[in-house]
Amino acid sequence: MKRFLKENSLSLFFLLIFALALIGQAFAGNAEYNDQRLVDGGQPISVVEYVTTSDFAVDVAENWQSEYLQFLLFILATVWLVQRGSPESKEVGKEGGGSDKEQMVGRHAQGESPGWATADGWRRALFSNSLGWVMGTVFVLSWLAQSVAGLAANNAQRLAELRDPQSWGAYVTGADFWSRTLQNWQSEFLAVASMVVLSIYLRQRGSPESKPVGAPHGATGVEG
Amino acid sequence: MKTAVVLLALLAATGCAVDTGPPARTAERFLAAATTQQGEIACELLARRTAEKLPDKGQTCAQALVEVGLRGGAVKSVAVWGDEAQVRLDGDTLFLHRFGGGWRVKAAGCAPRGDDLPYECEVED
Repeated sequence: MKRFLKENSLSLFFLLIFALALIGQAFAGNAEYNDQRLVDGGQPISVVEYVTTSDFAVDVAENWQSEYLQFLLFILATVWLVQRGSPESKEVGKEGGGSDKEQMVGRHAQGESPGWATADGWRRALFSNSLGWVMGTVFVLSWLAQSVAGLAANNAQRLAELRDPQSWGAYVTGADFWSRTLQNWQSEFLAVASMVVLSIYLRQRGSPESKPVGAPHGATGVEG
Repeated sequence: MKTAVVLLALLAATGCAVDTGPPARTAERFLAAATTQQGEIACELLARRTAEKLPDKGQTCAQALVEVGLRGGAVKSVAVWGDEAQVRLDGDTLFLHRFGGGWRVKAAGCAPRGDDLPYECEVED
């Protein structure tokens, strides 16, 4: 058990703070939601009821989709785009998918390589891009969920304001959907750009996201 | 992928299967009472804030409601989103809210103003 915790501490740490943050969001969101209900002449609801509302769902989904998009773009962009001096980038000149030898696939697979890295055809093609496919799928599903939950929350608000509800098509081409979407995207893109550029000149001793402290600023693709 | 499954389950729980019957019945009962001089019964189906705001000084809610002269009619469509509903009838459009005790009419005698603006209502909170 102790060994399991030690060997998986990074994943477990983030899963734990994810759960704590989600619970915190549920309570804080419920308090804000109830304030608005009282202003509108309604009655407060419990946190259990709140987490089943479209208001909570859209707030969760809009952040999830942008995080998965961020990682999807980072995974795919770093195949072809480079940044000299950044540990997040491959070395200049090594853009692209790499040779089979470099990627240890097909006859270059090693003893402990995953089975589908050895396989030919669609299985190797799928496994070679599986991280991108899964991140992309979660992004699309989260964005779709944001649109559906956002439509429900927005239409409830519109009815409370004595306005007609909207169709899904009108909602996803409208201001609320794109305001929620773009305000998340811009912050994610800024964070990635900051990480790529700042890691050229700054160091975090011991972190694999940083170059070794003494590595030159021009060293690319070197992790500490 | 697991997160997506959880999210979709969450969405399913937020209520894609909407029961439009209760707000439609409340709207019909409200208009049936309001259009047959049964103002007191109709006022009981109003949201509290709407009922409080409706009468002028020296008037009861029932008197004020009958004076408005709402028109009834068959239900044409019902939209329910969360705790809010809109019921369109032949002669009127009503907006309702779901309280702990059931659906109550927030606004009645409503006509669209166009340009996606709020409806103009003869009775509202």
